[in-house]
Amino acid sequence: MSSTVGRHAAREQPLDAIFQALGDRTRRALLARLAQRPAMITELAAPFAMSLPAVSRHIRVLEGAGLVARTVDGRVHRCALHAAPLRSAAAWLQQYRRFWQGSLESLARYVERR
Amino acid sequence: MVLVVSRLIRATPERLFDAWTRPGELMKWWGPESVTCIGAEVDLRVGGSYRIGNRFADGTVVWIAGEFELIERPRKLAYTWRIEPAAGAAERVLVTFAARGADTEVSVRHERIGDEAKRKLHEQGWLGCLAGLAQYVGNG
Repeated sequence: MSSTVGRHAAREQPLDAIFQALGDRTRRALLARLAQRPAMITELAAPFAMSLPAVSRHIRVLEGAGLVARTVDGRVHRCALHAAPLRSAAAWLQQYRRFWQGSLESLARYVERR
Repeated sequence: MVLVVSRLIRATPERLFDAWTRPGELMKWWGPESVTCIGAEVDLRVGGSYRIGNRFADGTVVWIAGEFELIERPRKLAYTWRIEPAAGAAERVLVTFAARGADTEVSVRHERIGDEAKRKLHEQGWLGCLAGLAQYVGNG
């Protein structure tokens, strides 16, 4: 996944790319940080005691899933959260969670009644 | 991604395992309150298949299907899980029934969420509401 100057990831990204991107604890933490406000890659690296290439790698995966948009101004790489795909993924997991919780509720009512 | 949902239910593991695997019983409880189970077929053996029909509040009908991978009555049940007519890599569900005195802890572990089938369903607008961004990211 290339990250050319001013490029924003496509709006309609496959859900599996999103889930893969979110399946890493560090990437979720990076997203939580970006949810507060945009940041430069150097800013992102500091709290994680992680090398710049390592953070950059994680950001590339997030960009690939359409969750982060990177803009380059000279040598400064600034990242911002792109929330729309994340709401889709969150909605998906929420639907599953509700479905299973609701099913277990129904099961309990069914067996406890008889 | 993996989702785990559990509940303590006042019944034996045997009772619950049977309710989960007998078509007649499944139809009486399957799904949350807003969903009606319109059909259930179960061939309970490793490699056997199942189908469960779900009618949602808005009238949408979805059939969930898969094959059994593990059957250890009354403690464990594992099967693949896909939404018809998806043919790609299936998701997996592991249900465990653990005795806790007079109760049973029923735990559902749903794995490999986010495959081809979900992409298609998402495009079809099967998912209705949206969850908050902060909530999800905060639950990482």
